[in-house]
Amino acid sequence: MAEDGALLEITDLQVAFHGPDGRTTHAVDGVDLSVTPGRTLGIVGESGSGKSVTSLAVMGLLPKGTEITGRIGFEGRDLLKESARRLRDLRGDRMAMIFQEPMTSLNPAYTIGDQISEAILRHRSVGRREARARAIEMLRKVRIPEPEARFQEYPHQLSGGMRQRAMIAMALACDPQLLIADEPTTALDVTIQAQILELMRRLREETRAAIILITHDLGVVAEVCDEVAVMYAGQIVERAAVQDLFAFPQHPYTVGLLGALPRFDAEQGELAVISGSVPDMSRRPTGCRFRSRCPFRIERCEEMPPLIPVENGRLTRCWRAPLQRLVA
Amino acid sequence: MFTLIGRRLVQLVPTLFLVSVLIFSLQHLLPGDPALVMAGEEATPEVVEQIRKRYNLDKPLPVQYVHWIGGVLQGDLGESMRLRLPVGQLILQKLPVTLQLAFMAMAIALLIGIPAGVISAVKRGTATDHAVNVFALAGISTPNFWLGIMLILLFAVKLGWLPASGYVSPFVDVQRSLATTILPAIVLGTAIAGVIMRHMRSAMLQALDSDYVRTARAKGLHERTVVWKHAVRNAITPVITLGALEFGTLLSGAVLTEQIFSIPGFGKLIVDAVFNRDYAVVQGVVLITAATYILMNLLADLGYILANPRLRT
Ligand SMILES: Nc1ncnc2c1ncn2[C@@H]1O[C@H](COP(=O)(O)OP(=O)(O)OP(=O)(O)O)[C@@H](O)[C@H]1O
Ligand code: SF4
Ligand SMILES: [Mg+2]
Repeated sequence: MAEDGALLEITDLQVAFHGPDGRTTHAVDGVDLSVTPGRTLGIVGESGSGKSVTSLAVMGLLPKGTEITGRIGFEGRDLLKESARRLRDLRGDRMAMIFQEPMTSLNPAYTIGDQISEAILRHRSVGRREARARAIEMLRKVRIPEPEARFQEYPHQLSGGMRQRAMIAMALACDPQLLIADEPTTALDVTIQAQILELMRRLREETRAAIILITHDLGVVAEVCDEVAVMYAGQIVERAAVQDLFAFPQHPYTVGLLGALPRFDAEQGELAVISGSVPDMSRRPTGCRFRSRCPFRIERCEEMPPLIPVENGRLTRCWRAPLQRLVA
Repeated sequence: MFTLIGRRLVQLVPTLFLVSVLIFSLQHLLPGDPALVMAGEEATPEVVEQIRKRYNLDKPLPVQYVHWIGGVLQGDLGESMRLRLPVGQLILQKLPVTLQLAFMAMAIALLIGIPAGVISAVKRGTATDHAVNVFALAGISTPNFWLGIMLILLFAVKLGWLPASGYVSPFVDVQRSLATTILPAIVLGTAIAGVIMRHMRSAMLQALDSDYVRTARAKGLHERTVVWKHAVRNAITPVITLGALEFGTLLSGAVLTEQIFSIPGFGKLIVDAVFNRDYAVVQGVVLITAATYILMNLLADLGYILANPRLRT
């Protein structure tokens, strides 16, 4: 789905960590993704599949010494070729990120206002007063009551939901074109979660930013995303528009994931629970990575399948695609 | 916050009481009769007896304690048997010297220890990190007396840049005062710098790995802002506490260094007093040192609270 007008276009991204014990973890192994302005791409997949590492690679926030190859096209440039300095200029300005832990992601020693103003002062040539006004405006925008009072408060004085709103205000303070939200609601309770998602939806309408939403929760994907990428063991195994994915999952792993949703339980039978576990990424398994857990595997699965186009421009990394024939 | 400080102040009373009892009883376990020492070898038994009476040495220990502590509570630390001077006056004479030395040593320790800790954490695993750690270990493990003697040999004897010993008050001549105290301050300061550096390093490693530092980087902040504003601000709070405690130990722990450099501070006062069985002086000095130490503890807590928005409200 290398569409025209993509804001972010990742091609064959590979990320390897070299451990102190000499072992190499291939956390991301050939990821292709793209997002267009005004749309939301959901990335799902179980823990350790490489979702966060992919987004940190885009932000240039992976630790020094990490081996990153491929191409991360952003506004026509390859971010992997940009200098650290240039990346710093983009971060917090053209692209921004919010994290899972609203409790620990804000600095406990500085006020909310200081931390938001800081981003504005960094990227805009404005004075303290203007930065403050802008920060308060942002706090109002994310529906934090009494923004002037909150501006002077420290993170510990705010509830988890309010802190996550403050994080969003901070991320959006310079009108980024790309917003990456890495499990922004996982740490919050259900009602707050719904409010934050609603807020993100509204902000997307207002700002026309492209959003990447990383989550474990398929319900969240169904609610806010336009497209979905399913990750498994460092690879994308399926990409599709949201309705298509939920209607007809094309990869056995996705079928399994959807089986975890209550309404699919009845139909999916034995696939409802995916047994087995993710392969050890420091050994970089050959063949289809889902093989050990896949009920559909055939001999050919000893060989790694490529992302195969099926109907509607969707892609799946499975030799047995299209799957309807098998499931129906 | 105020209840916390209030609670600490209340704790101060029983602590000091315990310390005073300890000082008093341990002191009297020392062999040797102070009255004999004081009277001299040719003194008649009558004279010795008179001295005993005068300083209440003929009374049972608990009575002596009550006498002493009663005086202390009224601000009277007793009288030096040897010098025939009020202990309070002696302490007031010597304390500023030791304080000056402690402040200079602490300044050196912080100025070296904190940046070194930050740099070695930022450059973790590199040659710089290893070099800093080697220096820190050297600073901690070099005996103060040896370093003191070496510095005297180099700067005073060989190069002749600084006086080998003696002390000049800064109220008399600031420059000469610094010249007489800089070497002992270096000796005391470098040892503490190593400890501070190590604590700063581990606190920084933790801070640099934190989520809020990642957030700061995600904002596009310059690395120096990330390190010196976001990480250091959080990493430094436990080091403040450590610094205050180290300052407390400097007051009593500088004995040997003061001896080597012939600095007439607390160290010299207490050594002379112990050797001459000058009970009142030993008790007074130890009590004041303990009180200062506890006070530094309190200040450390206060600093910690002030540096920590979560505790402030
Ligand atoms: N700094 C690092 N050094 C070494 N390995 C790392 C590092 N960061 C991540 N990894 C490894 O990379 C793999 C992918 O991690 P990642 O955080 O991207 O998973 P994730 O899909 O975000 O999972 P989760 O849903 O739990 O957040 C994991 O095996 C993880 O252990
Ligand atoms: S390629 Fe084979 S093993 Fe892999 S998902 Fe498809 S059927 Fe299963
Ligand atoms: Mg993650």
